[in-house]
Amino acid sequence: MKKIFLSLMIILLALITNAQAEKAQFQASGLTCSMCSNAINKALKTVPFIESINTDLNKNLFEITFKKNVPVDLDAIKKKVEDAGFSIAKFWIVADFKNVKIDKEEHVAVGNFNFHFMNVKQQTLNGEQRLQLIDKDFVSAKEFKKNNAYTSMPCYQTGTMAECCKSADANLNASNRIYHVTI
Amino acid sequence: MHINAQELYVSTEPASNMAAGSIGVRLNTKIFSMKYESVYAVRFDPEVMFGISKKLMVHINAYTSNMYQQHLRFEGTSLYAKYRFYSSDDIQTHFRMAAFSKISFINNPQQLQVGNKFYNNDEIDLDGNNSGLLAGIVATQLLHKLALSSSAAFENRWNNLDASKLPAQSSKAVNYTLSAGYLLLPRVYTNYHQTNFNLYCEFLGSSSLDKKSYYIDAAPAVQFIFNSISRLDFSYRTQLFGNMQRLTNNNFLVRFEYNFLNVFKNR
Repeated sequence: MKKIFLSLMIILLALITNAQAEKAQFQASGLTCSMCSNAINKALKTVPFIESINTDLNKNLFEITFKKNVPVDLDAIKKKVEDAGFSIAKFWIVADFKNVKIDKEEHVAVGNFNFHFMNVKQQTLNGEQRLQLIDKDFVSAKEFKKNNAYTSMPCYQTGTMAECCKSADANLNASNRIYHVTI
Repeated sequence: MHINAQELYVSTEPASNMAAGSIGVRLNTKIFSMKYESVYAVRFDPEVMFGISKKLMVHINAYTSNMYQQHLRFEGTSLYAKYRFYSSDDIQTHFRMAAFSKISFINNPQQLQVGNKFYNNDEIDLDGNNSGLLAGIVATQLLHKLALSSSAAFENRWNNLDASKLPAQSSKAVNYTLSAGYLLLPRVYTNYHQTNFNLYCEFLGSSSLDKKSYYIDAAPAVQFIFNSISRLDFSYRTQLFGNMQRLTNNNFLVRFEYNFLNVFKNR
């Protein structure tokens, strides 16, 4: 009974939510061989919210399709890549948006995620959109340094909620994690 | 079309580690052409590797050979650990550094007896010949077309187990290596099941600190990788230069490796 109730809640939550993360795409760095890539591939297969994985072995690109209505933890993907011995160079989230207003330095709750938009124009997102996650260790160290120019807020350094986020928006998810994204 | 680099070296270890939570098993077989006997010696060396965390890995080896007597005999074990302390990754490139150490407990005789003659061995070999301790640093640079790796290590020979006294032979040495690797096939990846064919060229040197002798070996190797999970290596190692008193100047290595990924949970 409890299980059914919980599933109903999750489905309801998904219905009223303003966006649904469908996929993630990332480029792994620090490798060229298929044996290395396979270590990442096999590690990702142990992640419970991942439905399927597609790989471009020549470019070390991975496309992950998420299971529907299962909470997604992007940091868990990063950990799997790092445990396999490699790093993430670029990471994108593909989500279906419903009337989500964004602006630069805005903090927006998108589905189960809290997003901090950086270096974007004021706009309303609708339909399938691809956001690039630019948090530390989701881009190369060089790129992370470069992106510091787009924000003065301290939450970019840590990826966790700080004073800057609390004053920005009251409608964020309860999670302390704030993902910094751009388009 | 491009050629990718490979750093799954055959005679050395790169600064990179195996995946955390995985276990690898190897069967190493070395065939030595013995300098003072008209025979070949063989050494079997099963090896188990553990990816303890993303930074730390451990190898355990057990050695059996007929190098010092006619029949195969168990010689001892070794423990190897490698800790990656620096990593700078970019797309299809990286620079990494690791510290490594090996400790070996071997019960072979200290000298080789052929008939009534005894031969010293100044080459310190912790892979079956000698008890001892080794510690060093390795740096690996993966560029798009070239994977280069270089290491330096200090080696200290101990008395072998059951051996009463170390004869007058080298007990301290510095080892240095330089390795390069290329992926020859496939030219373009289509899936994880394609067989990879890699080519390696490695140089392995050692300088005795107490006997003032040295050697530099070349160890070219070929490698097949099957289903992105197992590999088969062949390498021929031979001395290029040197004046060190050794029991063997060349050997042939065959290695089969199989990896079990995500076997245990890591921290």
